[in-house]
Amino acid sequence: MSKLERLLNLTAVLLETRRPLSAEEIRTQIEGYPPPGPSFRRTFERDKDELRGLGIPLVVERVPGTDPPIDGYRIPPEDYHLPDPGLEPDELAALHLASLAVRLEGLDDTEAFWKLGGGAAPEGAPVAPITEVPSHPALVPLFSSISNKQRVRFRYNDTDREVDPWRLDFQRGRWYLTAFDHSRGEERNFRLDRIDGSVVVDDVRGSATSEPPLADGRTRHSWEYGEDEPVTARLRVDAVRADWARRQLGDDAVVADDAEATTFEVEVRNTDAFRSFVLDLLDHAELEGPPALRDDLVAWLRAVAAR
Amino acid sequence: MSARITAGHRMKRVLSMVPWLVAHPGVAVAEAAARFGISEKELLDDLNVVWLVGLPPYTPDSLVEVVLDDGRVWIHYADFFKRPLKLTPAQALALVVSSDALASVPGADPAGALPRALDKLAGSLGLDTTERVDVDLGIGDPAVLTDLRAAAEAATEVEIDYYSYNRDAETTRRIAPWRVFADAGAWYVDAWCHLANGERLFRVDRVAALRATGEPSTHLPGPDAGDAVFHPDERHPRVTLELENEAAWVAEYYPTESVEVLDDGALRVVLAVTADAWLERLLVRLGPAVRSVTTVAGAPADLAEAGARAAARVLRRYD
Repeated sequence: MSKLERLLNLTAVLLETRRPLSAEEIRTQIEGYPPPGPSFRRTFERDKDELRGLGIPLVVERVPGTDPPIDGYRIPPEDYHLPDPGLEPDELAALHLASLAVRLEGLDDTEAFWKLGGGAAPEGAPVAPITEVPSHPALVPLFSSISNKQRVRFRYNDTDREVDPWRLDFQRGRWYLTAFDHSRGEERNFRLDRIDGSVVVDDVRGSATSEPPLADGRTRHSWEYGEDEPVTARLRVDAVRADWARRQLGDDAVVADDAEATTFEVEVRNTDAFRSFVLDLLDHAELEGPPALRDDLVAWLRAVAAR
Repeated sequence: MSARITAGHRMKRVLSMVPWLVAHPGVAVAEAAARFGISEKELLDDLNVVWLVGLPPYTPDSLVEVVLDDGRVWIHYADFFKRPLKLTPAQALALVVSSDALASVPGADPAGALPRALDKLAGSLGLDTTERVDVDLGIGDPAVLTDLRAAAEAATEVEIDYYSYNRDAETTRRIAPWRVFADAGAWYVDAWCHLANGERLFRVDRVAALRATGEPSTHLPGPDAGDAVFHPDERHPRVTLELENEAAWVAEYYPTESVEVLDDGALRVVLAVTADAWLERLLVRLGPAVRSVTTVAGAPADLAEAGARAAARVLRRYD
């Protein structure tokens, strides 16, 4: 009796049972366990850990009619079985090619493709990898809470937040979360790398009650992620860097355009981040307003010039 | 590898393979083995365990039935394993990230197999729309990206008008694109540059214009290709910066010659200056987070004033 055989039998029995089975029932029904005693308990503990480690949703419930209560075990089929996504062969192949071209850091997707019906990579020219998208410890818990509509808690900018996660965006090499912030009573954006400590996910599915708006497909900028009072900044960029700035800021931000320069208007919630963007253009740009932002920039430059 | 890891690894494979075999009665053993990336012997070894699996009382009629005939396989009575195990959140995320990223690469077909696959996948993962995760690899003119990729594939040369960030100037150069890739939110092309007479890395968003020549590349990538990220050498002057804590990212972001932590937690780093405009930008942006700038022996003394000079130049626009 191999361990693999015992684990497969354990999974089959726990998937098939309608009521939770006690450890003793499991021991007598499945071959390969030691007699009752410490040795059995150790083996059974290890098997439970092994199943959970594989991602099998093993639940612990009271065995009906026991007093004092006895722990029972089962695997709810609805939590175990992957709903069939109904992928056509070309769609599965496209997923395969995508996973070769773009990888998420630290994740191997061999197993995911086994679950989707196997499939070695499609025949043909080898795919040149395009990039590896960096991961972050908060990424998987936040993704999971979006799928399950769970509320989450974390610390950000020295404040405890309680939010309904709506969307994850990867832009300019960073991960961002858009969420409804219950502590502020409005939609907020967060940079994942600024989350302080870990993300605590509410146990209850459906605890995120706010209705997420649809994404507008707009690229967001670092200066939109802040707590400053929003202001509209007006930036004039010389022709030599105007095309570059237009690609960064988008056509919608253009308010004036001639042979010498292009003028943009953008909303700023993070003065530090926007100043950094403007200074990257060196003397090829001028921040025209509002006066408060312009004064801040001039004071900054004077301090640097005086060193 | 320990027996414990082997059992877990095989378990994952068996739990995915059995549902597929159930759904494909009479499939050739060779085809099934290829699909799951294992040898036929490994597959037969797995099946040897599967036919011992079943429900109490483990009489023959309560066990999974495995039929092997003429190189084909049938599995019956495995209802409990009729579907594979759900994707873990990490597995689901990895698939969504890969496919969303590739589907939003400029020039991708919005009605192609990938967006359709992503749509179906999102549905089975409980996401109401694929818009809950959005991956943007970088800004780039779709036409320029497409032309660069086509040139890399066909090994032909192109001419580009390129804004050099380090020199703060635009040049026209002829390059042989080798590989187009994304990193940290920007697109790059690794190429042979005839102007520099060497391998160079170009940022796609700084290509102002591109003209295809259709002529074959005179330089093809060698075994060391892909190592084009700039490595400073002895010719480049060095500066020492003392940085407040808030600017500690500089030590992680740029290649440093040395990093020293001072008593109050500030950092003293030595950096190679590959171009003046680069140092100007760094100092102007860091502002008060830079405590001091000094040049290392051999560097022009006025390099220490690069930040102040650049700030004065920018200030003239605000007089």
